[in-house]
Amino acid sequence: MAEYNKPIPQPEPVNQPFWDGAKEGKLMLPRCTVCNRVHFYPRIMCPHCHSMSIEWFEASGEGYIHTYAVQHRAFGGWADEVPFVTAFIDLKEGDRMFTVLRGVDATKPEEIKIGTLVRVEFEPATDEVHIPFWRVVA
Amino acid sequence: MPSNPSMAAAIVGAAEANEIGYPETPRTMMQLHIEAIRNVCDQTGIKPSQIEAVFSTGTAPQIAEYLGIHPKYFDTTAVGGCSFEMHVHHALAAINAGIVDIALVTHGENGWSARATRGRGTGRGAGGGDPWTPDAQFTQPYGIGGAPSNYSHAMTRHMHQYGSTPADFAQIAITTRQWATLNPRAVMFSKETNPAGGPIGMDEYNSSRWISWPLHLLDCCLVTDHGGAVLVASAEIARSLKTKPVWIAGAGESTSHSSMLEMGDFTATSAKASGEAAYQMAGMGPSDMEMAMIYDSFTITAAITAEMLGLTPRGEGPSLWANGNAAPGGKFPVNTNGGGLSFNHSGMYGMQLLVESYRQLSGTAEDGVNGIAGKQTNAKSLIVNGTGGSLSNTGTLVLVAD
Repeated sequence: MAEYNKPIPQPEPVNQPFWDGAKEGKLMLPRCTVCNRVHFYPRIMCPHCHSMSIEWFEASGEGYIHTYAVQHRAFGGWADEVPFVTAFIDLKEGDRMFTVLRGVDATKPEEIKIGTLVRVEFEPATDEVHIPFWRVVA
Repeated sequence: MPSNPSMAAAIVGAAEANEIGYPETPRTMMQLHIEAIRNVCDQTGIKPSQIEAVFSTGTAPQIAEYLGIHPKYFDTTAVGGCSFEMHVHHALAAINAGIVDIALVTHGENGWSARATRGRGTGRGAGGGDPWTPDAQFTQPYGIGGAPSNYSHAMTRHMHQYGSTPADFAQIAITTRQWATLNPRAVMFSKETNPAGGPIGMDEYNSSRWISWPLHLLDCCLVTDHGGAVLVASAEIARSLKTKPVWIAGAGESTSHSSMLEMGDFTATSAKASGEAAYQMAGMGPSDMEMAMIYDSFTITAAITAEMLGLTPRGEGPSLWANGNAAPGGKFPVNTNGGGLSFNHSGMYGMQLLVESYRQLSGTAEDGVNGIAGKQTNAKSLIVNGTGGSLSNTGTLVLVAD
């Protein structure tokens, strides 16, 4: 495997379950046990009802394109990849994640449709950190 | 009950550093601050030793030290380009509370010089690089490189939701450039000041390169040097000076998110909340405004903000610029300095907005190098809004002429 040459997230204590799940190919999300709402990024307090009772569950790994852009200028390892598409993903379970979108043609942005179904996949950047990316479901 | 601070204080002077834009020799941030402060003190007759409060993004203590003064009130609010509108809000509150009578709001930022001498991405003094922030873990790993790569997502969503088109956004860039051709200090004043300067049209817009689709280069602000300073004073002092006061009728600030992960509606900002607060304090509304200074880090920023401030219906922000309405000689002038798009944008553009707002309402928009014939409007009231972060934080002021 070629060395991963792009920024690698550093897991922190609060969201370690997210990265533990990612290593196993699972999208783990935090959910409030009081109001049952999902949030992302992970927090120790529910941003909806302010309870401190948060549990982790395995999500469907599916979502929809909320909005997107095509990056024509980037830095570091990403500079070699331009143009590439970035997108905010509405998770089926609620709230959003950000990604470099796979399975799309960055030279034809008009053909990408908001609302398109996408599925998560994980790319091993290191043994410990597998980074989620979202791909348009063919 | 506390008193409404509306009109309790005025902006009594506003000035820039001696060299702004793309200076021939690199400028330090402190040079940019101090030149502007010297200039605004000369303009108003207020001595640096009379300044009781210092407001600046992070650096208020360093400014005070440099000036050799010991302010009794200071504020380092640094939440992006809107910080300076917030500083004026805070200065108004402090003056209304009787804590101080004279406050300095100051800006010095060498976006151009830092890039020219140290490389891209070094314009901001802060940064830190905490790897445990939400963005460090969940957005920055995906090739995001600065504001344009974020803001483009808002423009895509606006086009999807409301059917706005690149041609609509182009009108903002084209109109703003028209104003820049009346401001000799604007980077894009003319072909002489910059090869890419002077008037632009749809052809230039369409052929400008992609930065972050759907943002063309001409949808994006400049990266420049700028120093600016305004003095805010109590009503009594404001009436005693040689300069004309511009009264602070209303002020408001708000935030909707920090990380763009948390931007619930990509076509809305907290300018709705900060604008409503400012209007309410002023006892005025959008229809009372005679011009606007709107943060235009990108055309999409300006468009959304116009909607949030009630200057157009939702989804129709670009229409404010249509048909010459916002252009020189138009019914509702907007961004009369040439904007962040074509005048000057150092990274945090809020001070440039304040300086021009003061000039317009004090009738000095064509004095000296401030502008040439056609730049001064007849406006007696305006709304000025700053946006900071990732369409996150906003500060809004309603200002009225004496």
